Amino acid sequence: MVFIHTNNFSGMLKSLIRWLLLLTSCLVILCLAGCKGHVVGILNPKGIVAYEERKLFFDTLALMLIVVLPVIVMSFTFVYHYQASHRVKEYKPNWSHSFFLESLWWGIPCVIILVLAILTWKKTHELDPYNRITGLNQSPLLIQVIALPWKWLFIYPQQNIATVNYLMIPTGQQVEYWITTDNVPMSAFFIPQLGSQIYAMAGMRTRLHLLASQPGNYDGMNTQFNGDGFSDMHFAVHVVQPEEMQQWLNQMKKSINHLTDAAYSELLKPSINSEPKFFSGVTTDLFQNVIATYMNSVGTVHPRDNQANFNNLIKSQKE
Amino acid sequence: MFKDLLFGNLTLDAIPLHVPIIVGAGIFMVLVVATIIFWITIYGKWSYIWHEWITSVDHKKIGIMYLLLSAVMLLRGFSDAVLMRSQQAIASGTNLGYLSPEHYDQIFSAHGVIMIFFVAMPMMFALLNIAVPLQIGARDVAYPYLNSLSFWLTFVGAMLCNASLVIGDFAKTGWLAYPPLSELYYSPDVGVDYFIWSLQISGVGTLLAGINFIATIIKMRCKGMTLMRMPVFIWSALCAMILVALAFPVLTVTLALLFLDRMLGMHFFTDFAGGNIMMYVNLIWVWGHPEVYILILPAFGVFSEVVATFSQKTLFGYTTMVWAIAIITFLSFVVWLHHFFTMGAGADVNGFFGIATMIIAIPTGVKVFNWLFTMYQGRIILATPMLWVTAFFTTFAIGGMTGVMMAVPPVDFQVHNSLFLVAHFHNVIIGGVLFGYFAGIIYWFPKAFGFRLDEKWGTWSFAFWVVGFYVAFMPLYVLGLNGFMRRVNHYSNTMYQPYFIVAALGAAFILIGICLQIGQLIVSIKHRHTLRDHTGDPWNGRTLEWSVASPAPLYNFAELPIVSTRDQFWEYKQEHLAEGRVHPKNMHYHPIHMPKNTPAGFIIALFAGIAGFALVWHMWIPGLLGFAGVLITMIARTFKTDTDYYIDAATVKKTELTHIKEMI
Repeated sequence: MVFIHTNNFSGMLKSLIRWLLLLTSCLVILCLAGCKGHVVGILNPKGIVAYEERKLFFDTLALMLIVVLPVIVMSFTFVYHYQASHRVKEYKPNWSHSFFLESLWWGIPCVIILVLAILTWKKTHELDPYNRITGLNQSPLLIQVIALPWKWLFIYPQQNIATVNYLMIPTGQQVEYWITTDNVPMSAFFIPQLGSQIYAMAGMRTRLHLLASQPGNYDGMNTQFNGDGFSDMHFAVHVVQPEEMQQWLNQMKKSINHLTDAAYSELLKPSINSEPKFFSGVTTDLFQNVIATYMNSVGTVHPRDNQANFNNLIKSQKE
Repeated sequence: MFKDLLFGNLTLDAIPLHVPIIVGAGIFMVLVVATIIFWITIYGKWSYIWHEWITSVDHKKIGIMYLLLSAVMLLRGFSDAVLMRSQQAIASGTNLGYLSPEHYDQIFSAHGVIMIFFVAMPMMFALLNIAVPLQIGARDVAYPYLNSLSFWLTFVGAMLCNASLVIGDFAKTGWLAYPPLSELYYSPDVGVDYFIWSLQISGVGTLLAGINFIATIIKMRCKGMTLMRMPVFIWSALCAMILVALAFPVLTVTLALLFLDRMLGMHFFTDFAGGNIMMYVNLIWVWGHPEVYILILPAFGVFSEVVATFSQKTLFGYTTMVWAIAIITFLSFVVWLHHFFTMGAGADVNGFFGIATMIIAIPTGVKVFNWLFTMYQGRIILATPMLWVTAFFTTFAIGGMTGVMMAVPPVDFQVHNSLFLVAHFHNVIIGGVLFGYFAGIIYWFPKAFGFRLDEKWGTWSFAFWVVGFYVAFMPLYVLGLNGFMRRVNHYSNTMYQPYFIVAALGAAFILIGICLQIGQLIVSIKHRHTLRDHTGDPWNGRTLEWSVASPAPLYNFAELPIVSTRDQFWEYKQEHLAEGRVHPKNMHYHPIHMPKNTPAGFIIALFAGIAGFALVWHMWIPGLLGFAGVLITMIARTFKTDTDYYIDAATVKKTELTHIKEMI
């Protein structure tokens, strides 16, 4: 017995498609409404790297659609057209091989992937976060970033100042970030509108080059889940004109709030949603020392166990 | 001292009586178990359950038990999804939602672990168990007792994971438990230990099952079934099992090293004293990437069977299909680094792995086109298995597209760890794996149970699932592009909230879809007599499993088939159509050699479960007892020589004639 299903299916399919179309249009409208106001990610880049990445995103999308669109169209038309109930004349139950057709769908994807591969190789090297952004005369501004238990410490080593959860950078000058963590699991540093993200790992230094092209306030964040305070591990990014940046630096240097060992120990304690803090008198080798603490540690006790035990402090805070 | 050795760190405080959701879930679980036990006792079915199911080594029954386990765990994993979707729909602006980070972190970790290890994997093994021996014309798998052990180990792993809901915590680390977060310093509670031991136990089960199916497919094929005459589902199963055999040992070793770090203070993956967290991330993905192909390959196999059957046409491009599967199998081992382009490897390394990843799109695309052209000039019957395939094409195409986009390292630098990624992998795992498995379950359901599933309920559940999927996951793509990360508990920017409300709506649609599936099952059981598959061939099938009765008799084939072509049963039907189907009533039947049932698999798994639970809580006496139990049962079993028997020819003849009578 052959089971034949004729039960008003095409009607069902039609209503399904109608549903999906309605939904897609709703979503598109939602997106467009969003675009006007406050798109904050890759779709609204404010730096050279993010701009390049958005371009690459759409190039890849276009290349893929060459194959994906025909697949979607063919799947619907074939399923609709060749239904048994439609009694289409052509029926080739044993037709199972065509050298031409099979070469076609091995060949076309190969060509597309070849193009994409060349593009990928080129762009991966161009946009390597470790490389300086080329074509700029000015030397980069160095900022050292330490992910702390659910807050970010930014050190401006050349200026001997530091901030918590507050990043001020100039337009037009590339910034080189050195990144590590202290007393917090692996994290990741990311300012979506400026460019790439990169992991932050204890005892290691990762690097990132970004260039902001438009003044404004942007959102920076941690993207790698690292415990209870993860969701609030954001920081404010202020991109300002170079002159304003200079003023801010001068002002900061005068601050009497020094980042002493005691102050740093305080920062090592887990805290969620910390207010921005500002420090001056930062030792130039703080960042290197933090990395060395982990690299040179021995034994079974975590280097920060005595100073600021991660879990005991969280527990006591809860109680 | 003795108390310490007996109970370790386990105290009554481990049961979180102050969290209403957990207490509710715990009471619910206990009630369900108690009700089941009550009914079994009332109806006096213990003996039946013990002799016919728990000790069974019959691949069809083990397949059904895998299916049951996966269905139950799907409900648990989906409850987690509902909790997450509702939390994120609420927790906007100053509202922190109803789930504290501590609880929420366990939910998303458990969701991932459960859906991959205890829903998708058992569902895959359910399909393999039900279909593989029948498709290759074998009477059982190569090692029936090992098959039973594999299932029970998976079962025990799942139960250990469930126990963590009520006794202690589950991991708060995400589903792969990256160190150093999963190390003792950052996660001193038992959550990660539950993670390690539920995966270790079920992982060993999976590895054994993988070896079992490789041996089955290589050695147990019926006469005439050369490798290139195997159904594509068998090819996909073989390749997936090769991946299991190569990848799962990596998982076992990685988790063992993590356990040594936590238990004995070693430094494989700590962030200090010479540990290397990047090593863990590499190792876990050396297993993890093949794992997703372990899941998708059998789904590809199901599509190949279903498309050909319901288009009433030979599968297009068999040879290229097989080569495509083989290429995917190989490539799946050289792309793992694309899961962490953002770790700071150089452009050469990132570029290599990015391009290797894209290349996988080529054989995958070829497969899709072959399926499309199987439908072309066919006669398509839109029964429910075929509906799922139809939805698969678009969904998987979108998922594959976003996958290739993320294979470009600089694009990944923007969308990594964001909801774009979450949307992508749900797109391929739901749209590819789950839709495929659903198609396979409906397709082979009559072969396992003897009756078809109700089509009307099936169509409605399909509609709600598909619409629900798009409503739930398309907004996540948009959110990801707007810089919204995964695993976020609450957010201050209220512009995100509408998208999450839409996504929660989608989850509600899927919930309706799941309820309709349960309804479908109930209705089908109720109408099992009208839905009865008398012929054993309800879909006009092409392969050997449809040549026997439904449900398949204990011995599968009275006479082992001989194969001379790919779609053997289809060809047979074509040849015999003119002369009418002949069923030799006077055929001579032989006694059939069969394996005896054994409780050894169940007992070993039980002891393994005790050992696992004991290790989680550092309970040394029960731990040693568990290990000793495993070893002693294993050794005792090797001394058992009375492991097989013969079904006599008269019984075989009676069974076969009953089937033929019903068919006519």
